[in-house]
Amino acid sequence: MDDVALATEGDAAAFERVYRAHMPRIFNLARRMAGPDAADELTQDVFVRAWQKLALFRGESSFSTWLHRLAVNVIIERFRTLGTARERFLADSEAVLEIAHARRTKHLDLSMDLQVAIEQLPHGARTVFVLHDVEGYKHAEIGDILGVSAGTSKSQLHRARQTLRGLLRKEV
Amino acid sequence: MTDQGQFGERDHEPLGADDILSQAIEQCRDEMPAQDLWPAVSARLEIKSAPRRSQISLTLPQLALAASLLMAVASGLTWLASRQPLAPAEAQPMVVAQGESAGEVEGGIVNANFADAQFNAAVIDLEQILRDERDRLDPRTVLVIERNLKTIDLAIQEARMALNDDPANAYLNSHLADARRRKLDLLRHATTLASAGGN
Repeated sequence: MDDVALATEGDAAAFERVYRAHMPRIFNLARRMAGPDAADELTQDVFVRAWQKLALFRGESSFSTWLHRLAVNVIIERFRTLGTARERFLADSEAVLEIAHARRTKHLDLSMDLQVAIEQLPHGARTVFVLHDVEGYKHAEIGDILGVSAGTSKSQLHRARQTLRGLLRKEV
Repeated sequence: MTDQGQFGERDHEPLGADDILSQAIEQCRDEMPAQDLWPAVSARLEIKSAPRRSQISLTLPQLALAASLLMAVASGLTWLASRQPLAPAEAQPMVVAQGESAGEVEGGIVNANFADAQFNAAVIDLEQILRDERDRLDPRTVLVIERNLKTIDLAIQEARMALNDDPANAYLNSHLADARRRKLDLLRHATTLASAGGN
């Protein structure tokens, strides 16, 4: 019996092994989507939620895929709890550029890597960019997760990329 | 040329290899938390463990009740069956207990000795597990389990003795199969309980 099956039956030691195996990917997903300050707490939240929901894992997808999707949902829930409403970050398509340019003048005179650039984006655009370009989700999947159309996801991605390219070139 | 013009309307598809974003993503380094997060996660998991223990503890009175009922019913019916064998016209079709379908069939009656080897092997395995794990159980729980096992063993023994005198008795065969199933069920419950470390 593998560790996931044992954990499903309440074996905490097996669940720790599951945690050790999957934590790095989940932590870095949280770090990229929500920033380094929130990554620790979100990672904890994801694994606590996974423990609570393990009985719902039916093995239809790989456990890694199931856990990743659950993590994305936990992180997006956090954004919404913090007041980053879907309407705000996905309806106003120009907001991405405006916010990022305004921050660039203050903060981007130092060397910057992609992570720092991503952190300049609003939550919604950051989510779409990370899910699509870093994690490999399709627009339809992102739309499903965020409750928006695939077209909205495409639009956000286009603008997020524009902003990030500008920020990275500034660094170069 | 602006970024808008350079990348155009199709800038929502997978990135090209020469795109500065592709190169940046490839160079993106994974990091690890500054501290081990497991203790904090583990502390929050304990909330879920409590209901599991309480669910297990509820099985003890059920076990005691089931064994008491079995003792009363088994003793009474075995006594009746050994003294008042059913008339041929009243004989009921044999019901074979689940998991004991490999029995020897003689004229529509399943002999009481069927699947003895399977039954004994399963009992030996489960009793061994229980012996290995019994230290994880509360002594009172062990007492209840042992008392119930003795009760069931007595019922099995009585049924077998009665069958020596009346091997074709349909009721006795059914009763023996039922008692065996109950013993296996009780052993399975007990070993599950012990493996969970609950009391």
